[in-house]
Amino acid sequence: MGPPSDDVLTKVSTDAATEFVQSFYPALQKNRAAIASFYSQPTSTILFNGNVVADGNAVQDIFVNQMPPTHYEVQSFDCQIINQAYPTPTPTGTKAPNETTVKDMSILVIVSGYVRFGESRDMPQRGFSETFVLVPNPAAEGGKGKQVKEWLIYTQNFRLVV
Amino acid sequence: MKGGKGSRRSGGTDRGGIRKRGGPTRVDRDGDMDMDAAGGGARGRGKRARGDSGRPSGPRAPAVDAIQKAISGNTTTSQVNIRQGGKGSNLEQVSIRGWKQSKAASNRDGGHESLVTFLEKKINAPDSKASSRARISKSRIEGDTLIVSIRPDLLDRILHLNGFSFAGAPLTVEKFDAMMDHPTISDIAQNGSSSSAADTKAKLSAILAKRYFQDAKLLNLSALGTDPDLMAMGMFNTTSTESKFFPALMKIWEMNFTNSVTKREAVKSVSLADNQLANISVVTTLAQTFPDLENLDLSRNDFKDAQALIAWRWKFRNLEFLDLTGNPFSADPSFKDTMLKWYPKLRILNNTEVRTAEELAAQKKTPIPVQPPYFQDQSQIAENFVRAFFAGYDTNRSDLLNSFYDHNSTFSLNVNATAPRAQQTETAGWDSYIKKSRNLLKINHLPARMSRAYQGVEKIRELWNSLPATRHPDIAAHPEEWLIECHPMPGLPDPTGQSATGVGGLLIQVHGKFEEMSTGKVELRSFDRTFIVGPGSGAGGIRVNSDILCLRAYGGHEAWAVETPPVPQPMPQAVPPVPPVPQVPGVQAPTQLVAPPATPAGYGIPAPGKPDAQVQQEQLVMQMSAKTNMTLQYSEMALSGNGWNVEAALKNFEELKGQGQLPPDAFLPGTV
Repeated sequence: MGPPSDDVLTKVSTDAATEFVQSFYPALQKNRAAIASFYSQPTSTILFNGNVVADGNAVQDIFVNQMPPTHYEVQSFDCQIINQAYPTPTPTGTKAPNETTVKDMSILVIVSGYVRFGESRDMPQRGFSETFVLVPNPAAEGGKGKQVKEWLIYTQNFRLVV
Repeated sequence: MKGGKGSRRSGGTDRGGIRKRGGPTRVDRDGDMDMDAAGGGARGRGKRARGDSGRPSGPRAPAVDAIQKAISGNTTTSQVNIRQGGKGSNLEQVSIRGWKQSKAASNRDGGHESLVTFLEKKINAPDSKASSRARISKSRIEGDTLIVSIRPDLLDRILHLNGFSFAGAPLTVEKFDAMMDHPTISDIAQNGSSSSAADTKAKLSAILAKRYFQDAKLLNLSALGTDPDLMAMGMFNTTSTESKFFPALMKIWEMNFTNSVTKREAVKSVSLADNQLANISVVTTLAQTFPDLENLDLSRNDFKDAQALIAWRWKFRNLEFLDLTGNPFSADPSFKDTMLKWYPKLRILNNTEVRTAEELAAQKKTPIPVQPPYFQDQSQIAENFVRAFFAGYDTNRSDLLNSFYDHNSTFSLNVNATAPRAQQTETAGWDSYIKKSRNLLKINHLPARMSRAYQGVEKIRELWNSLPATRHPDIAAHPEEWLIECHPMPGLPDPTGQSATGVGGLLIQVHGKFEEMSTGKVELRSFDRTFIVGPGSGAGGIRVNSDILCLRAYGGHEAWAVETPPVPQPMPQAVPPVPPVPQVPGVQAPTQLVAPPATPAGYGIPAPGKPDAQVQQEQLVMQMSAKTNMTLQYSEMALSGNGWNVEAALKNFEELKGQGQLPPDAFLPGTV
């Protein structure tokens, strides 16, 4: 099998980013108990306004315990493939070359939008910019049902910018 | 109306004022606003009111034409574009008025979006298929008027909506003719160099000069109706000139500026006192000309309720001082609450403090404290790259590409056209970018998603050469205008193909602003740009793997200024702007989202769960405090303001102390 074509790569990566953006931000608002499930284990750097957060569980703790009701509005996002042959880790080490699929890629996602802290619609809209690196979820292979996310957050950097 | 008004404006001066009656307005055959279309004479302004309603629609006052010519003689580029856009694409333009009185006018966007949706719905037959639905291709707002561009075959259908009710208000829908409309809409075909036009413009400029106080940054537009120069010009002889005068005045003011920053800085205060205003329709363009106004005097007018001011509901986001004394609205029980709700930075209302500095500070606080940039560089690779990149992007994009990009590098850009803004400045259009924008919210089809992603030096070069020239601020000279963060990033493709597990690189995120030079105007925009750089054969042994750019309206840099503990006013000068970026790594931000307590037990002592970096910082704060006798709060501010460099903080402290700039409460009790 030759290398995947551009249209397949574009479809896989942009579908991944779209699915991620459309499920992650609603979870931050309404399904905070599920936040940790969006993160790979282990993760690399996670930052919120310059604060280092240890991992997905820590992010979930913060949202569950410290954050007021928060409304996110994604206004623009885009993605690019970082590595078309991402070394997806598996329990048995790295995959052999004949085991890899088109989905063994890492994806850079950039999101721009606004966030409103607090329930009142009169609270100011704060512009944010957020960058993610998504990697494949090793547990997603073999069609184990829809509950398992295909893509997980490897790095994340949230910044209020307005 | 207050009883005193008549006596104050005794004699012949009662002609003036730039007021306009409330209620729905109609437009007569000339396209002139007819103030007395509804409720004429109800306010009993004597013979003036009656005179208006019987006004024959004769030739328009020479003054108006003169104003229009004056303005069109100096048409700004953006207007040229608007007009050409309408003509070049063979679209018809239609003006819609009356919606500012609707309930939707209190929407955040002034009702713009819901009005357009309403119109689109109404011009479509109920059974029309989605694919063939008529659309409003373009729309813009000028004062109280929405101007839409539509296909010629839809003209009749939309004109048919004249008189339809939109959210409780009747609409006036008419074919738009720039010549007949607000003078702010200039017609470029008009010969603007006639001597009377120049004369009118010169007179209005002189009036502005007389009423502008540069040192106080005040534009005093009070009691315009009694201004002898304006009266001599016959500016208030007819309602027609009256309604067009103010927008014209604003336009002439704006002509003094080519740079949006100077324009913004020139005026902090405006007075519109004593103008007999019953609502703001006539003066609504003030908010477009002075979006960042801090002080606004509207005293001694005739505003009865919030509805009279509704068009400014989402304007003046930086308003701190508002005077509405001498207006019936001030007596309304909801007055104070409404104004507090409308204007988040309002501190003084009718000369009374309604919000303290502490309350304002608390409002700004976010649940996630803002920390200095996280910058974990390796051998200054990211620092050098960022400096070289933005200098190169402004001066020679082609060289820049040759230096850092290769045939696998990827670039794409996306436009967030609706991003929040720092000021209410009008945002220049996105024409130069929008066809390249890969905002995946909007670009859903695979071929478009593919064609808007650029891989390899040549494709990126072609795109970059087509984008407008830019000027980013100097990083060293204006560090506060940048936010640059960086951390290591494993798993990049190995360009040599040797490592199957990939190579390590750096993820760099940059937020900032740039000036865009296009057709004689300078536009200010903000951007977010993320790079992934890895080892390669480019300059300094690196290559750009990924470069992704988001463009948005100018949003300022306040958002990433590091939050300081709440302190009594006035704000001390002990904190210079945000430390130079990129800053020294080694001192990391605290790893918890909880700010250290103010007077803490166990401060500076390691504890379970307490990050080392925090302990380190607390110890530095205590050292600083011991050396300076400043409180922990001020010591921390001094340190964080100097990139946690004790020496620099001490030096800064000595300077400020020498200049007597530190308030007594900066010091520990009993040490002063």
